[in-house]
Amino acid sequence: MTDNTQNGQENIYRPAIMNVVGKRDEAPGVKTLRLEFQDPVEHERFRQTYRTGMFGLYGIFGEGESTFCVASPETRKEYIECTFRQSGRVTSSLASAEVGDLVTYRGPYGNRFPIEEFYGKNLLFIAGGIALPPTRSVIWSCLDQRDKFGRVTIVYGARTVADLVYKHELEEWQNRSDIELVLTVDPGGESPDWQHRVGFVPSVLEEAAPSPDNCVAVLCGPPVMIKFTLISLGKLGFNEEHVYTTLENRMKCGVGKCGRCNVGSVYICKEGPVFTAAEVARMPAGDL
Amino acid sequence: MTKILLRDRLDDCITRWHAAGFEVIGPVSKNNISQFAAIEKADELDLGAILPGRTLKDLFFPQTEPMFRYRIGKQQIDTEEYLPPERQRIVFGARPCDASAMAIDDPLFGWDYKDSYWFRRRNETVIVTIACTAADEFCMCTSLKLAPDSTLGSDILLRPLEGNRGWLVEELSQRGSEALSRIEALLEKEAAKPLPPADVPVKFDLEACREWLQNPENFESHFWKEISMRCIGCGTCTFLCPTCHCFDFQDEGDTYTGIRRKNWDSCSFALFTMHTSGHNPRSTQSARWRQRIMHKFNYFPGKFSLNSCSGCGRCTRECPVDMGITETLQEITKLSK
Amino acid sequence: MSIQEQYRKRAAELLASGEVKIIIGYGAGSTPDRRRALFIRSAEDAGLLQVDQACDANLSGYLVSEGLLSDRKKVGIFLRPEGIRSVNILAAESQLDPLQIVILGFSDENGSLTPLQGSSVSDFSALISTLKERRSTPEEQELVEKIEGMTPEERFAFWQAEFAKCIKCYACRQVCPMCYCKRCIVDNNQPQWVQTSSHTLGNFEWNLVRAFHLSGRCVECGGCDRACPVNIPLRLINRRMAQEVLEAFDYFSGMSHTQEPVLASFKKDDPETFIL
Repeated sequence: MTDNTQNGQENIYRPAIMNVVGKRDEAPGVKTLRLEFQDPVEHERFRQTYRTGMFGLYGIFGEGESTFCVASPETRKEYIECTFRQSGRVTSSLASAEVGDLVTYRGPYGNRFPIEEFYGKNLLFIAGGIALPPTRSVIWSCLDQRDKFGRVTIVYGARTVADLVYKHELEEWQNRSDIELVLTVDPGGESPDWQHRVGFVPSVLEEAAPSPDNCVAVLCGPPVMIKFTLISLGKLGFNEEHVYTTLENRMKCGVGKCGRCNVGSVYICKEGPVFTAAEVARMPAGDL
Repeated sequence: MTKILLRDRLDDCITRWHAAGFEVIGPVSKNNISQFAAIEKADELDLGAILPGRTLKDLFFPQTEPMFRYRIGKQQIDTEEYLPPERQRIVFGARPCDASAMAIDDPLFGWDYKDSYWFRRRNETVIVTIACTAADEFCMCTSLKLAPDSTLGSDILLRPLEGNRGWLVEELSQRGSEALSRIEALLEKEAAKPLPPADVPVKFDLEACREWLQNPENFESHFWKEISMRCIGCGTCTFLCPTCHCFDFQDEGDTYTGIRRKNWDSCSFALFTMHTSGHNPRSTQSARWRQRIMHKFNYFPGKFSLNSCSGCGRCTRECPVDMGITETLQEITKLSK
Repeated sequence: MSIQEQYRKRAAELLASGEVKIIIGYGAGSTPDRRRALFIRSAEDAGLLQVDQACDANLSGYLVSEGLLSDRKKVGIFLRPEGIRSVNILAAESQLDPLQIVILGFSDENGSLTPLQGSSVSDFSALISTLKERRSTPEEQELVEKIEGMTPEERFAFWQAEFAKCIKCYACRQVCPMCYCKRCIVDNNQPQWVQTSSHTLGNFEWNLVRAFHLSGRCVECGGCDRACPVNIPLRLINRRMAQEVLEAFDYFSGMSHTQEPVLASFKKDDPETFIL
């Protein structure tokens, strides 16, 4: 493996080579890959810099790179997990990677969830469909230090039962007495043996009615779900300064230079992807 | 006592610079386009144009830049870096607007993460600018608070003397002094009075524009649709702009080996911000035009205290449909009053 | 009454009566010799229209931009004869409904402009037939002959030097009314048919692909040539392809709005038995 530094100056565009050590089918078209660094120097750099919320650019030489969050938490830095839907050239290529194959990773970039500010608070996690991965990174960062937090409520919904991701972890959370898990699928998406709720996430959230007192919310999902969930959170008495979300945009460099990912004056790769709902409200909606 | 460089000494200067290991580059007109190219003799230079058609950024941020080669094996992938070679260069005869533009892009390419492709070339290049004694109707450096004899980004500024006999020499930096030391013997001491710089009228009120752009209510103004109706969404203004820096990565090769390249891209292109899902945050040309103006005159100065424009005017000069930022900023100046 | 006055009056009438919702014409540019595309929606603005020799852009490309025609209302547009051919081709290729287009046509004979009689595409068939004969200016002809006098190696070197200047700005494509694909072949990445880099291969690929995609369609309005910021003589390539199509198929594009595209249609009595 050739040296990634040149006269002491690191080449910021050169990715690390990763071994695929695990692969899981989460849902139709959605896969999780577990990756390990080949180079211990790169791994150490990751251990020093990675905090929950940051993202990476995952790729295959010959195809390109694609941006996803790091779905594994900052409390588990021996590997990187990423979850993505197969949709374009790079994700299709990543989806066909098998254990033992090599992929590339560049990162971690971006800002982080301020987990220490959540100590002593109740936590409300709300996610929709393929947006559970970034939320899950925060969930595990908190569950791995469970005693630092109050009540933990997770509200998660997908279009259909098959579309729910991290199914085995959902079961695990379901069985823990220190988490309240509220699962839902969209009307018509339930299977005959579905035990949980049916309804869109915002309305299910309102039914569950978690208290806003001393509570921080982490919300990730497609734009339309976020819009309506924020309204529901408002009805429940949540302040937008205490609701955290992640934004994503098309990226190439990940380091603020290629000029692509900004929403108004905010560069998602440098000043995001983690924002409070209040910060998002200040961004021009016409650029989202 | 001021120093001057006589034009007929230029060939000797080039020879001495070559001997010192510098490649000498200047504006060359060939094949219906003027651009920066390496020269051997002074008569290859075209120093009479208002400014060359292509910009100085070609020398620091080329249209296509091979970054590294990858070789994919079963158990490992080898990468071989293609960082720009260590090569000292002197650019002779850039215009102050082009040199300022490079200085404007330095904080961007160095924003927390340093782009080694850019800085390698920047650190190895001496820029010798020639102050403008003439301007055309498209020049607008003064509207950007720069000037036909700006020193921003320049290592040596030459001010033309009368009768085309040469230039008054101004050392501006350590790098410039070192380059001049190689040709010290060719300079004359003379209390020469240079020609006055060109008169470039101010065309718009930059501060008023910034304020108008910063106002969130103007983001959705109908102005954006009206001003950009004829924009066809090509990349001419962005590619001929010395400060524009957007890029794309492309892997070119076969299954086992190839080169990852950094290529120019443009926020004017329809698919620039297109998500794979099909959602495009900037799906109309007016949204893309707004992004261009906002980025140059609002977001970039907000982050780096510099406008992402040096007033060279190429955007308007070359636009196939006669757009360019001047008209937009003039209209915004009117709107802000 | 000058042609400009005549057409300003006509434009005002079309807008005032509500027959058209917008007129696409020419207005004053940023310098006295430049003209720019002007979009006017009210009769008072008709006075901004310019109609003179400097009005050389082919405006028909704006007809297919961003849903202009999707409300089924009529649009007025100033066109030279090549532009009328463009509208015919766009109609034949199902990109617009010719009934929505009201043409304010003019032709330029050695510096003097004459208005064209008629306002819908079908009024101009006779005119377009005469265009088939008359095709190039003396300056163009000189360069054409110079290139055609070259050996293949010289010709390749000539174009290699020209394409080396290409910066992939796609101004040629964006200004061309015939390049209306929402996703151009260069924008496809599965696979990346045409490389986006400006090296020799990437530049040849782009320019040749475009030349082939325009064969039998280009109306030689010269828009691409004028638009190219690095002065590649694109018009010559397209002219050569148009000549090839004329000689091989006796086909001149844009003669009517029902004329089938030569390279995208077949007849049962075609001499070849297959597409190859």
